[in-house]
Amino acid sequence: MIEICDVVKSFGDTRAVDEVSLMIAPHTICALVGTSGSGKTTLLRMINRLVEPTSGNIRVDGRDVMSVPAYELRRQMGYVIQGHGLFPHWTIARNIATVPSLLGWDRRTIDRRVDELLDLFQLDPATYRNRLPGELSGGQRQRVGVARALAAKPNILLMDEPFGALDPVTRGKAQEELRIIQQKFGTTIVLVTHDMDEATHLGDRIAVLDKGRLLQHGEPADIIANPATDFVRELVGTTDRAFRLLSLATLGEHVESGTADGEPLEATMTLRSAYSELLWSGRKAAPVARDGTVLGIVTLDGLGRLAARP
Amino acid sequence: MSPLGLVLRLAGLVLLVWLVVQPTAFAGLLALFTRPGQPSVYNQGSLLALTISHLLIVASAIAASALLAVGLAIFVTRPFGVDFLPVSRALANIGQTFPPVAVLALCVPLLGFGTTPTLVALFLYGLLPIFENSLAGLSSVPPPVTEAAKGMGMKPMQRLIGVELPLSMPLMLAGLRLSTTIALSTAAIGSTVAAPTLGEVIIAGLQTGNTAFVVQGGVIVALLAVLIHEGFVALERSQRRRIGL
Ligand SMILES: Nc1ncnc2c1ncn2[C@@H]1O[C@H](COP(=O)(O)OP(=O)(O)OP(=O)(O)O)[C@@H](O)[C@H]1O
Ligand SMILES: [Mg+2]
Repeated sequence: MIEICDVVKSFGDTRAVDEVSLMIAPHTICALVGTSGSGKTTLLRMINRLVEPTSGNIRVDGRDVMSVPAYELRRQMGYVIQGHGLFPHWTIARNIATVPSLLGWDRRTIDRRVDELLDLFQLDPATYRNRLPGELSGGQRQRVGVARALAAKPNILLMDEPFGALDPVTRGKAQEELRIIQQKFGTTIVLVTHDMDEATHLGDRIAVLDKGRLLQHGEPADIIANPATDFVRELVGTTDRAFRLLSLATLGEHVESGTADGEPLEATMTLRSAYSELLWSGRKAAPVARDGTVLGIVTLDGLGRLAARP
Repeated sequence: MSPLGLVLRLAGLVLLVWLVVQPTAFAGLLALFTRPGQPSVYNQGSLLALTISHLLIVASAIAASALLAVGLAIFVTRPFGVDFLPVSRALANIGQTFPPVAVLALCVPLLGFGTTPTLVALFLYGLLPIFENSLAGLSSVPPPVTEAAKGMGMKPMQRLIGVELPLSMPLMLAGLRLSTTIALSTAAIGSTVAAPTLGEVIIAGLQTGNTAFVVQGGVIVALLAVLIHEGFVALERSQRRRIGL
């Protein structure tokens, strides 16, 4: 649980963060969105005290962050910095092992953890363990950055545009990995992004910042359907909000009864992909299946109703 | 390193050691530079002893400059030390604006003749290159890297030793190389105030009009400077590779 109460951060005359109060529930992903310079990074860095608030306070699991030594606080949280920030003179293994080493884990536990994480991010340990960051591609470096943040199994993960430099395909994969990890370990994640798709896709809740102020905080569907201000409406985008709404749910959650012909669609597919699939194959309906068992059907009409303004 | 480069460096090293340990082997060659009746090989002391003392003087002066300059660079790049950046820059600059001869001349009345004024001059002269390069090195560490180190929960000392110093090592070594090569040639001037360096050989040659002395003193100093310079370059290169540059 992260509680941000009336937090202000001023740099000279500018208020980078202006009286923000925000509650982030345990085991959820909160996406911080906003345009460049809106104060996302500053707000994030106040959670691990890389920036100290001018006023207001931040509590993590009930404890004021200012009441613990900064280094201790930071070792308990994973931090993925904007632009990866790997140590260029350390091997990938040593980079990932940073926090476990600081915490004094024994050698063997650390080695096992490093290999486990490399596996998780689909980097073959034997190949990559002893490479330097300079010998990896940009996308691989970003994944190592995330692995390093996860190494000591933190309950809280702070991520500053972790997938910024990735191509759409790799980015999609990395987002899936993050989703899986989050569900497996119940990590509380604060994710800074300016990609609204990423925010709606990953966030349980979205917090919209503009000029340091928190404009709206709510579930993605709510923000898409009822943007609080013109700025939020613009950020959400008016032309494709119906599709954004569809991308929030999976087929499995909206199975209709009936029968339909043709290739079945997987229940884990988002409504948006299913809609596209139906249009593409020229069908009005298709069976929905999970692991080979047909659960029911999905229809264009049904999807049409789900995409309409709630 | 190219094979030719390696051969040349090895040849230089062999020549240096040979010349210093057994200068009589070169008597015939050096005799080409003498006038009738003059000795061709330096005969007022041991070349080996002078070379060692020359190197020791340079090494101790530069070690002292490095200690102070690197320490100063670290200090002024810490949050509590940034206010002192302009002052320390000015201080290190003083060492450079004085010509070494002037420093020597000023030191003699204060410190007397001998090794001390030379040490002081070399020490002052060595400060600026090391300081400037260490400063450049420490400030060249990319901000995301230092921020990451902080964000991971490293304490200030752990960040300095684990991240900042290794990453600025190549530039620090470059500063050390500059100072050392300058000091190697400047140390020779120290013999004008009676410091036991290879300058003695050159000065003796100049005083007696014996070009052979000047040549052997000059060649030894030059070879020392070139070889030590090359050694540093190799060290910097390996450091650079180690930090993935
Ligand atoms: N250390 C600092 N000193 C002065 N001003 C700062 C500092 N850090 C941030 N700011 C200012 O605070 C505001 C918010 O910056 P911040 O980095 O939080 O934005 P952001 O939302 O993360 O932007 P981006 O999406 O470009 O990363 C900006 O106007 C920025 O110039
Ligand atoms: Mg930012």
